[in-house]
Amino acid sequence: MTTLEMLALAPDQREVVTVGDSCVLVCNVGGVHYAVENRCTHQETTLHEGRIRHGFIACPLHGVRFDLKTGEPKGDLTRIPLRTFSVTEEDGTLTISDAES
Amino acid sequence: MAESLKPGAGRAPGHTYQEAILKDSSKPPEAFLDYSYEFMGDQDIPYRHYTSKDYAAREMENLWPHVWQMACREEHIAEPGDYQVYDIGHLSAIVTRTESMEIKAYVNACMHRGTALKPPGDNGFCQSFRCPFHGWIYSLDGELVEVPESWDFPHVGAETHSLREILVDTWAGFVFVNFDRESEPLDQFLGVLPEHFKDFDIGNRYIETHVCKRLPVNWKAAEEAFMEAYHVKETHAGGRDFSEPVTTYDVYPLNVSRFIHTVGSVNPRMPVPPTEQELLSAMWGRRGANDQACPTVPDGVTARDVYAEVVKKSLGEQYGQDFSHYSTAQTLDSIEYFLFPNFFIFPGLSLPMAYRFRPDPSDPDYSYFDLYFLRPSQPGVTPPPPPEPIMLDVKDSYTLAEGLGFLGAVYDQDTDNMAAQTRGFKTCAKGGQTLGNYQEVRIRHLHSRVQDYVGDDQ
Repeated sequence: MTTLEMLALAPDQREVVTVGDSCVLVCNVGGVHYAVENRCTHQETTLHEGRIRHGFIACPLHGVRFDLKTGEPKGDLTRIPLRTFSVTEEDGTLTISDAES
Repeated sequence: MAESLKPGAGRAPGHTYQEAILKDSSKPPEAFLDYSYEFMGDQDIPYRHYTSKDYAAREMENLWPHVWQMACREEHIAEPGDYQVYDIGHLSAIVTRTESMEIKAYVNACMHRGTALKPPGDNGFCQSFRCPFHGWIYSLDGELVEVPESWDFPHVGAETHSLREILVDTWAGFVFVNFDRESEPLDQFLGVLPEHFKDFDIGNRYIETHVCKRLPVNWKAAEEAFMEAYHVKETHAGGRDFSEPVTTYDVYPLNVSRFIHTVGSVNPRMPVPPTEQELLSAMWGRRGANDQACPTVPDGVTARDVYAEVVKKSLGEQYGQDFSHYSTAQTLDSIEYFLFPNFFIFPGLSLPMAYRFRPDPSDPDYSYFDLYFLRPSQPGVTPPPPPEPIMLDVKDSYTLAEGLGFLGAVYDQDTDNMAAQTRGFKTCAKGGQTLGNYQEVRIRHLHSRVQDYVGDDQ
């Protein structure tokens, strides 16, 4: 298991970090932090420039939407969920872990 | 049997709906007092109009591409780049909001080799529409802005290969599309609806619940299950007299019909009429707030008026609005308007529904039913975003869907009838549905409009 500590993000901010071998997108959506693998399961594009609305991120390439909490995709373009990472927050510090979340 | 009357002249004994609501203490909207029934014939409706693949194919060719259909609510596409896919049979449209906040709708197919740009039923948000096949890119305005390896396409440009726009317009917060660019404008298609809805602020409501279920019946028979209150006593109340409402049925040119039925009024057909107190107790029991004792109905006041005041106050507190100007009829009654071919809306305060029905293009014995609960938006408060639809398959009970309350079991009862009808259509030797002249006139109105587009099938 690999973990990463980082400062908590301001609301609506996002940051790309590396956890172990994975490129991870961390984002603050309405005060809740989420961490998902920064790679669309449709065609492996990075997701960090996608729009985030209502708890979903849309891939900037073909618009596949993923639930940031569960990683589950919407629509028919992919059935593979995004890998999610656990996020814990304590005293303004986030701990991102690649343990099964 | 009222044999001496002309066909269609018969009515249930006792007062009409319009007479009943004049006994309320508050004045109902003028439109509620209108009578607009006409006898439309008493021939059977052929079962083949529900079961025939040929008839369904003709509906798909001659009806659906030429009529206005509700694609989504405006809040589904609140910001630039938000989009919603609307599918009807083999047709599909993308409805979106452009950078200038205009609403536009396009045929959902790339102008290169026809690939659908977005999957069926999809919704989301994007900067542009990019085909997943070869990466042709269209702006939110539908303009072709990028063709990879454009050296190979000297014959392609924005003038000829931008997305095909279809008609789009809005009414009461709903976004309607029409695939026929020569069609009449929406406000003409709506007929009396805007006038009849002027006392209801439907545009200022938000979607609280959205359930989409596959139904085991043809789309027309699915709609018909919601067009009359004649079935209520048997389907929903085990034959109890108490549940028999006083109902008006009206048809309007060309695309609108309605019923309105009372909630909590004395039905003159009952052998022993209930007291006003008994009527109030019955309504109170369904309210789901049984921790509060049922109030006493004062002398000279009706249960309806007492209950309407309670409902207006309680919903007013719940939604941060003042509903005191709503009449008793607007507050309590089941008010259902239909817009041909597939849209229903209940503008009343107590029943918050809107319905949309669509055929299953692969099988005329199945259809899709979108059920929405629309609630008043609180002034100054941003309503929650539209919920993702809860998808139910044929065998899934509505009671599995959160947010439907006691109505979940009611919709299950309607669905059971639909499956039984589909089976019966195919074994019944008579050849067609027999309809009541008055209570089932909206069904005849629906078929009359379908025939206008599809033509005779002989």
